[in-house]
Amino acid sequence: MENFSALFGGAEQPPPAAAAPLGFGPAKAAGAGAAPPPAASAAASAAPPAPGEGKAAAAGPFYLLRELPGSTELTGSTNLITHYNLEHAYNKFCGKKVKEKLSNFLPDLPGMIDLPGSHDNSSLRSLIEKPPICGSSFTPLTGTMLTGFRLHAGPLPEQCRLMHIQPPKKKNKHKHKQSRTQDPVPPETPSDSDHKKKKKKKEEDPERKRKKKEKKKKKNRHSPEHPGVGSSQASSSSSLR
Amino acid sequence: MAMSEKFDSLEEHLEKFVENIRQLGIIVSDFQPSSQAGLNQKLNFMVTGLQDIDKCRQQLHDISVPLEVFEYIDQGRNPQLYTKECLERALAKNEQVKGKIDTMKKFKSLLIQELTKVFPEDMAKYKAIRGEDPPP
Repeated sequence: MENFSALFGGAEQPPPAAAAPLGFGPAKAAGAGAAPPPAASAAASAAPPAPGEGKAAAAGPFYLLRELPGSTELTGSTNLITHYNLEHAYNKFCGKKVKEKLSNFLPDLPGMIDLPGSHDNSSLRSLIEKPPICGSSFTPLTGTMLTGFRLHAGPLPEQCRLMHIQPPKKKNKHKHKQSRTQDPVPPETPSDSDHKKKKKKKEEDPERKRKKKEKKKKKNRHSPEHPGVGSSQASSSSSLR
Repeated sequence: MAMSEKFDSLEEHLEKFVENIRQLGIIVSDFQPSSQAGLNQKLNFMVTGLQDIDKCRQQLHDISVPLEVFEYIDQGRNPQLYTKECLERALAKNEQVKGKIDTMKKFKSLLIQELTKVFPEDMAKYKAIRGEDPPP
């Protein structure tokens, strides 16, 4: 309490210890009439000088009763999404599952766009941090400038050809919809497609071999040199001997 | 509507530019001497395409794009995920703040209620100064 009196004037007697800043306390024991005058005088004298006497009068018998902050219509208790008419956007982005890859957002963009930009130095961040120094206008290329673009005939080396490869897009959506009701399968990466192609080739190879064998057998049956099925059995029996 | 038209115009120019570059790449991938004229034409289309895109820039000078979106694009992720996460974070924070406000209102009403039981006359004066607060 000594600190309070030092802040708001040392001449006045400090209020009783039990009174506390709110003006409550033992004044009740002496009677209700005795309590307000000393508290009021203390409050009046202890009012901060900046707000002025009006606020001290508004505080009444209560010490340090400040004015409430102005009420605003928009607070954290309002649903801000409905307030700013973002329900449609919320349902669109949060109601459905948004696909992870960039190629799902830009399906028509050629090239391998799902790779990080740091791999081939094509990041937007590097463009912002180190913008290329160029002229203010775009001038068409003249004939002499175009002579610098005379190329050698023939295909590009394989290193440069990869730029045109796009991730394969799955067209089996109908098949997948039957089995999976929720999320469609994400598009394949080139490594996955290679493995699947290899698997398909492996699966096709024994089938091809069987078909070739069957064709050969048919040819052998119909040819004049080989007698037919009976001869094949005889040959197998002869081999056992 | 005007804003969407500006975006549509920019999108159209960008698509044409990208298509031109793609065709340029096809020509270059297996170049023949007879393709030189076509190559020169594509190169000039590239320059005019950049001019058109530069013209669109003036119409969209007041559009601001948050830098965090570029992080998503650089990682090869869908930028719509950024919008989704913004909305989810906003909703979560909204709910958190609403919870705090509701709890503080309940605390205030309970405190006034209990103080009125203990200090009825002082609380009557307090209510007279403050005015009647609506119940939470």
